[in-house]
Amino acid sequence: MDIKPIFLSMKKNKFMAILMIVQIAFTMGVLSSSVLVATATLSEWNKASGIPHEDIIRISPEFFDETQDVGQALVKDLDRVRSVPNVVSIAPSNAVPFTAENMINVYLTNAEDAQEYKTVVVETDENIFDVLQLSLIEGRQFTASDVIKGSTETTPQNAPEVMISQEMARILFDDQSAIGQTIWLAKNADPVKVMGIYSNFMTGERLNGRGKSYQSIIRPQVKWSQNQEPHYLIRVEQGTGTALLEDILDVFYQEQGRYINSSELLKRTQKRMYDGRGSRALTMLVISVVLLVITGFGMTGLTAFQVTQKRKQIGTRRALGAKKSDIMRYFLTENSILTLIGLLIGVLVTFAITFEASEQAGQNFLNVGVILATALVMWLINILAVWFPAKRAANIEPAIVTRSA
Amino acid sequence: MFSYNLHLAIKSLKDKPSLTFLTVLAIALGLGLYTTVATMSYQGSQVPLAHKSKNIFLVQMDSREITADPVEHQARLVDTTYKDTINLMAMNLSGVKQTFNWSTYGILNVEDENITPLRTTAAVTSSNFFTMFEPPFLYGNGWDKKVEDSGEAVIVISKLMNDKLFGGENSVGKTVRINTHVLKVIGVLDTWNLTRKFYDRSYRSASPDNFFIPYTFAMENNLPRRAGFDCWAANADIARSFRNENLDRLMNSECAWVTFWAEIPDEQIENYNQQLVNYIDSQKSLGRFPRETLTFLTNLNDQLLFINGRNQFIKVFSMLATLFFAVCILNAVSILLAKFMRRTKEVSLRRALGAKKKTIIAQHVIEVMIIGIIGGVVGIVISYFGLQGMMNIQIYASDYTTRLEDIEPLFQLNLVMIGKAFATGTVCTLIASIYPIWRICNVPPASQLKAQ
Repeated sequence: MDIKPIFLSMKKNKFMAILMIVQIAFTMGVLSSSVLVATATLSEWNKASGIPHEDIIRISPEFFDETQDVGQALVKDLDRVRSVPNVVSIAPSNAVPFTAENMINVYLTNAEDAQEYKTVVVETDENIFDVLQLSLIEGRQFTASDVIKGSTETTPQNAPEVMISQEMARILFDDQSAIGQTIWLAKNADPVKVMGIYSNFMTGERLNGRGKSYQSIIRPQVKWSQNQEPHYLIRVEQGTGTALLEDILDVFYQEQGRYINSSELLKRTQKRMYDGRGSRALTMLVISVVLLVITGFGMTGLTAFQVTQKRKQIGTRRALGAKKSDIMRYFLTENSILTLIGLLIGVLVTFAITFEASEQAGQNFLNVGVILATALVMWLINILAVWFPAKRAANIEPAIVTRSA
Repeated sequence: MFSYNLHLAIKSLKDKPSLTFLTVLAIALGLGLYTTVATMSYQGSQVPLAHKSKNIFLVQMDSREITADPVEHQARLVDTTYKDTINLMAMNLSGVKQTFNWSTYGILNVEDENITPLRTTAAVTSSNFFTMFEPPFLYGNGWDKKVEDSGEAVIVISKLMNDKLFGGENSVGKTVRINTHVLKVIGVLDTWNLTRKFYDRSYRSASPDNFFIPYTFAMENNLPRRAGFDCWAANADIARSFRNENLDRLMNSECAWVTFWAEIPDEQIENYNQQLVNYIDSQKSLGRFPRETLTFLTNLNDQLLFINGRNQFIKVFSMLATLFFAVCILNAVSILLAKFMRRTKEVSLRRALGAKKKTIIAQHVIEVMIIGIIGGVVGIVISYFGLQGMMNIQIYASDYTTRLEDIEPLFQLNLVMIGKAFATGTVCTLIASIYPIWRICNVPPASQLKAQ
């Protein structure tokens, strides 16, 4: 295909060419920037939870009447909930998956400059494995006899052994065995021993946002104080969660002077965890699509205009023996050349915008793969936009030439 | 002549309705998104208490210990200690009002067992809060200094609480309970649309406090303090416990945690600052304020400026919306060009018959103005729906915990924004049409007549 005539024609009609290039460059810049922001926002989004979150209910009660005995209430709560039909198992816990935000540092040595590893510590009893359906990967799973229970006042001692998640084990010990190793849950605290490794589950947004979603530690102890009652995680028979929520709430309200802060299926907790970022990213993407459509129409308009302008030339070429496909190819090639130039400039624009945006948001949005994909989509859309007017051009009859003076 | 041009312009608009529609669509969509974002950013940056915001000051003094890090910005400096709060409140300057507050929370309930209790946030504050920050009252009033000093158990509740606990009727004189403390309602607030909850320095939008209680009562009954305690090393280890316990130690400590506010008339500002410096000097002799004397009086305007400067989402979003609008305008240029150039023949005929360039320009400007006006109107309609959409997204994103009433003002189009949008729309359309009009009015007379 000879592209010389295309360049000659562009030279003759410089403004049109420039307009098309600028438009493509701008669209490319805006489009890929918003897609970049959206994908960056969506990274670590909707990751596997590792637990049957559709069938787990969380209840977070609290006593406002200081005369009530939290310890007794806890025992009664557990018994009462277990006797509700369709309840499979229940565990008290100081943290709830998807909102386990109490991030701490864990250390491998007690040295002053020891490296910090982020994690959350879940304090719970032996039923947690059944509730969350966690499987034992290595080592030993703790039993009822390992669990320390009591109010913070009367029970100062802490469990000397913990279990860690598979991801935590990988981060802390790489490919060495974690079993029997010693870790520190705070500087100068008593060290604890790793007794086992369990399968990963989603902790919460604070770790997830740092790409450390599954770093957790389970400590076999349940502690309470007057203003801090543990949460309850309750697994129910598949699909009965929504119907059971009210019944279970009633059980908790049997205690006087109590308030239920939160009662929901973990499915909803999960939704809330991702919502803010998800809806922002979605807004960006919807805007991108609208922009793409507008630019598509603009391209169609411009090409249609050029076709109208060049009717006579097209007729002449056809009369001189050019095939319909030659005419089509002319317009498609011309458009592709302009698109290519536009896209190249557009990538530069993207870099500028992304750099500025990253600077402002303190987050790196740049992702070459996304930019290339956007460029490809833009090119395809442009071809589509030019296809119809080009087709019309190809259908111009050769005889049109003869009509002119 | 005008009516003739108008007639031609309308005829031309109707001629290729799909092209006209595309132009209007491009302008309207671009403008719609731009106005949506501009409105959000405009409403979000509205300063609360605008009529006196420049006279409402956050008061900060550097009471930290000698080893503390230098302060980079006013926003990084600690709040006020309880000791200093009480001392400053005793200061008497004419025309100056002072108040302070911290956050608490509790379970609000009534005797009636059919009404489920509510866990909610609250402000602990002094009587001046109501005169300085002017929350609107539905029933009753705030408490006065006398009630405050007596430590009486009184409470001001929000409209939301009044609706939930008392079915919306006048509840002044009735009692509510926070946890197990019984308090008498002396005032019910109406919906209070603070654009930002500035007084606790959270600057959050749409998260009003649901009750207000006198600090004297809160201290006597040791209500929980939801605050960050910036302590000297001596107390750092028990800082967390100050939320619920060790009240006596907290009151005498160097821990800063109370947000202190002053309303100062212009002519007293310098004097007030001098008084602060004098106060710090007097305390230095007691071994306090070991660092170089440093005070900050920051009015609401300056605080909001700083806070809004840090809203990254709206910044990135604004940038994209502006560029989006630019792309739409570029599009309008190409479509207008295509539309006008189709008419080359007609224009060349008119020119040959003696029509002046001016006439041709006038005709096309009218046409473009009509497109601009329609685009502006449709754009404003689109931005209305855009704002509704963004509002619903925010409610969804908060998992329906924020209420429509609280965030509605943040997504409200007003006359200023409508006027701006309209002007932007028409002006940008005119700019977009400069080149197409220039091309069409330069068509040589009779050039096209020889064909056919």
